[in-house]
Amino acid sequence: MKLRLSVLTFAAMVLGLLMIPAVQAHTPLCSCYDNGDGSVTCEGGFSDGSSAAGVQMRVEDGSGKVLIQGKMDDDSEFTFDKPAGDYKVQFDAGDGHQITVEGKEITE
Amino acid sequence: MKHFITTISTLAILAFTVPAFAHFQMIYTPESALNKGGKIPLAIVFTHPFEAGHTMDMGTPEQFFVMRSRGENTPKKTDLLPTLKPIKWTSLTNAGAAYETQYSARGGDHIFCLVPAPYYEGEEDAYIQQSTKMIVNAGGEPGAWMEPVGLDCEIVPLCKPYDRWTGNVFQGKVLFKGKPVAGAEIEIEFLNHKPLLDQKAFAKDAFATAPQAAFVLQTIFADDNGVFTFGIPKAGWWGFAALGIDPEGSFKGKECSKDAVIWIQAKDMK
Repeated sequence: MKLRLSVLTFAAMVLGLLMIPAVQAHTPLCSCYDNGDGSVTCEGGFSDGSSAAGVQMRVEDGSGKVLIQGKMDDDSEFTFDKPAGDYKVQFDAGDGHQITVEGKEITE
Repeated sequence: MKHFITTISTLAILAFTVPAFAHFQMIYTPESALNKGGKIPLAIVFTHPFEAGHTMDMGTPEQFFVMRSRGENTPKKTDLLPTLKPIKWTSLTNAGAAYETQYSARGGDHIFCLVPAPYYEGEEDAYIQQSTKMIVNAGGEPGAWMEPVGLDCEIVPLCKPYDRWTGNVFQGKVLFKGKPVAGAEIEIEFLNHKPLLDQKAFAKDAFATAPQAAFVLQTIFADDNGVFTFGIPKAGWWGFAALGIDPEGSFKGKECSKDAVIWIQAKDMK
């Protein structure tokens, strides 16, 4: 029993080791900029330099209603018309790889 | 007579000693690792950074551009020469012609590259031209910081120049026309006086005191592959200059030392 526990512990440790670096070495990044012409551009990527092309993007209003939906383009960019009221941008590359950018933090 | 000879020798030694404090072409901005993009100031000053000493008059640069890259995107080159504004930069001993500009940085790596006008050094009856790189990252997403930008004289960083902790090493590779320069001589200086951009001047207070002249300007050599290694002892900006890497460097019929310079910024772990 004791042996089985330590095997399990060891397995859990190995699994943990395998999982932790994958998360740490691959942090999602997304920054948005007001282009000053009524549009906003979001730049996505990962801290290891890998591309975010194809990542799901959503623009939501204050109540969470989806206003605009799209994807990061080949250059890992997503440009949209700036909504009139409160809004936030969701970068969604799957579990643990989501970022929310508040509209009021988006400046030139 | 003996006294006269001693005086002459002393003068000669002094004359040879002075140029030992190296000229360094600077491209300065306060922060090389920005959390978020935005407008950043740049000052371009040709000076002696450890002592904030004599600042040389710069002529109109031959090239000033930025290579921007983010993630796997192809790097984009933007000419910044038309944005430069002439200024006077005040050192602790004089004032010299320099330049400033502002740049809007978005995410990724921004490699600022300067090829200044050759500078005539009267004491040596020769010219000096330091092709200089300084790299800013916004947001932590890397780009092509490790790629050569294609300058004739260039130091390519082998470590991210904006992610060094104090005590890390910095490694770079010296290239002349894309080929490694075996045994290149590298001079290193610490930016020992804070540049005050609003006053276009160096702060009077120094961060560090050199116990002896050799420490003002450190010298190392690259290995057979043109690679050099330097342990970073203190947080702040460090400049590396590979000297005279074009064996036939000349300008207007005189010798011209064609150097490659790179700046890095280290941070304390705290």
